[in-house]
Amino acid sequence: MTENSLAMTTLIFLGAAIIMVPLVRKLGLSSVIGFILGGIIIGPFGLKLTGRDSDDIMHATEFGVVMLLFLVGLEMEPKKFWKIRKKILGMGLSQMLITMTALFLVFYLADWRPDHALVAAVCFALSSTAIVLQTLKEKNIFRTEAGESSFSILLFQDISVIPILALLPVLAKRPEDHEHQLLLQYLPDWLQPFSIILGVLLLIFLGKFIFVPFLRYVSRSGMNELLTASSLFLIIGVSELMASAGLSPALGAFLAGVMLANSEFRHELESQIEPFKGLLLAVFFVSVGATINFYVIMQDPMFIFTTTVVVLLIKFMVLLGIGKFFGLKTDQNFLVAFALSQIGEFAFVLINYSTNLYLLNPQLNAQLMAITAISMCVTPVVLIINEKFLEPKFMTVEEDVSDDSEPIKKRKIIIVGFGHFGSTVGRLLHVNGIQATVLDNDSQRVNLLKSNRFKVYFGDATKPGILRSAGAETADLLILCLDNPEKNKLILEYARKNFPQLKIFVRAKNRLDAYDFYNNGVDNIYRETLGTAVDMAVDILKATGMRSYAARRLGKRFMMIDKAMVRKLAKEQLKDKVSFTVNESLEREAELLAEDSQSFDESQWSDNEDI
Amino acid sequence: MLLFFSLILYKLQSLKKTLVIFAHPYYEYSTANVELVKAYEGIDNLHFKDLYEEYPDFHIATFRERKRIKDFERLIFHFPLIWFGLPSLLKLWIDEVFDMNWTSEDDHPLLNKDAVIIVTVGGKKDNYSEKGLYETTIPDLMKPLTLSLKVNSIEVKEIIAIHDADDLKEAELKKNSEEIKKTLQIP
Repeated sequence: MTENSLAMTTLIFLGAAIIMVPLVRKLGLSSVIGFILGGIIIGPFGLKLTGRDSDDIMHATEFGVVMLLFLVGLEMEPKKFWKIRKKILGMGLSQMLITMTALFLVFYLADWRPDHALVAAVCFALSSTAIVLQTLKEKNIFRTEAGESSFSILLFQDISVIPILALLPVLAKRPEDHEHQLLLQYLPDWLQPFSIILGVLLLIFLGKFIFVPFLRYVSRSGMNELLTASSLFLIIGVSELMASAGLSPALGAFLAGVMLANSEFRHELESQIEPFKGLLLAVFFVSVGATINFYVIMQDPMFIFTTTVVVLLIKFMVLLGIGKFFGLKTDQNFLVAFALSQIGEFAFVLINYSTNLYLLNPQLNAQLMAITAISMCVTPVVLIINEKFLEPKFMTVEEDVSDDSEPIKKRKIIIVGFGHFGSTVGRLLHVNGIQATVLDNDSQRVNLLKSNRFKVYFGDATKPGILRSAGAETADLLILCLDNPEKNKLILEYARKNFPQLKIFVRAKNRLDAYDFYNNGVDNIYRETLGTAVDMAVDILKATGMRSYAARRLGKRFMMIDKAMVRKLAKEQLKDKVSFTVNESLEREAELLAEDSQSFDESQWSDNEDI
Repeated sequence: MLLFFSLILYKLQSLKKTLVIFAHPYYEYSTANVELVKAYEGIDNLHFKDLYEEYPDFHIATFRERKRIKDFERLIFHFPLIWFGLPSLLKLWIDEVFDMNWTSEDDHPLLNKDAVIIVTVGGKKDNYSEKGLYETTIPDLMKPLTLSLKVNSIEVKEIIAIHDADDLKEAELKKNSEEIKKTLQIP
């Protein structure tokens, strides 16, 4: 079965994921472990469904990690990024240095060759961004202290991959026995730091002056497919650019994300990239499972397993110590230490790279790869142990964790549609210091409003993903101000199904829309044809000679009766399951008028509930 | 002991069906009333009506109010004294809900009721006396309300004035709360 086409192999990979993940989720495990298990089953040691291709597929789908980092960057505005810089530098640097030193010493004392020991220590100090971020997202603890610390450490590790890639060739010079011509293919060392600065500057420039105008240009065309294409174009372009500048594509994507976090396209990009990321990461994890070489493990199982355990233990202890030093609460500290104790996917890259440099022999390569993969598989299990047995012990500290440490908090109100209607709503909120997340799909308008310090994002809220990425899961209020009642209804139905906690306020054109909205379970309905028309009628009454106060009172009363009537008629409509034709609605209009003369009769007060 | 408890139980059950009409235009800046209204929390047979919250645009649903008020046996008017009088919305509520014709009718919604007035006052107690700064008393200032009630055959059981309302300590507020709770129970 080694001659499978790439598409066929991908098909098998996805199949394994589709079968395994729901199974694993049912057992309450993270989906990552499902993917890896699926990979093992279809791999050479299981059903032998994959061929030599799984390596290639793993490399191809490493791109999922890049996308993941892009999305993480999108969630992180530069200001917030700056806020946690101390954590990134402090926790990240100390984790890398201490872990590397400890691992090196242990390997050295275990009689490894010094260079092998060093390479292995460097590779193993890294943790898996993909696994940890995926787990953090699944557990929804991204915004806690543990989440932030994990993220800071991971970010530093991702950055440090670049100097490590530069360092390995230098290291390779020391053993004299191997050919040197391979090294010449890589950049000279002195150029490396320069290219990093250049790359970052280029990115900032691109983010400021190219990306956003480019996206605006594309969005003006109004074609959805084009926006998907340009999102992908952007992210692939950035990572290719970074790769050619000698930077890690993941870091490049992250920075691009940060640059775009402030732009109005944030939520749109998020919902465009999300599915691709999910797909690629799924295949990536499956391929990790599939590349575990069980024959190597079988040859010397003791070596593999003791090394894995030792590495996990050392990483765990170091993280625990750092967490303590940086004042993490006990339960958060354990979570971070357990979550980051595995070896990351960058190790696969580094190990292969080192083998190319003749730093490692194929035997050791296979062993280190196996250790890395096993340590990845262990993480979800370890996290469950933490969750089931350790966390309950420290539960007492849990409570104050949730409210005092939320640096990346999202807005609580979402306004959909920011035309003449929505912007009036938004302005009144704004002058009272209430910030809302605004979605609108007119890119020109969005562009204009952004300059007036409104938090406006470009995005078509009728597409399911957008609301979610605008934070509908944690929001309290959803304000629907679109001009088109059908679209309002569409979003309303979707939101009520998926985000039942949302309190919904909706703009309605006329009475007929209002019936629909009432029957959809919404109470806050604002008919644009009611208030203004009544205002006008009140002024006309005044013009006919009625006293202003009397006119105002009658207008108010009329409005209350009208609202009550609509509510009543909506129920009737639901009962009869009719939708009104134009003629019928005219009849209803007449009924309403008849009702009015009754409702306004002063002696009728005991019969009227609502006025 | 058992007798004592059953007496309390009996008393609690016998609480008259009560409507608290609370009117406070700047409730969010009040310290005393925030504490005092807690006296009404969790009491059966009592409905708390927050006028400024219910009618922010001063348009009172008169018919509804008339219909609902019928069933209550006791009205508690609870408000701060503002410019020596009732908060304007409370005055408006009375204007709208009470019908002048009722005074001459045998059957109207205000029959079979008594009333309690609880008023918080910023000034010192001494100022509100014949010889004090304002040369008048709280019961005198309450006349428009008490008379409106009286002509509709509602007996005013008690007027509780809480003075120095902006400077009361927690312990003093507790004492006032207790007094309100006790007043709820009077037969």
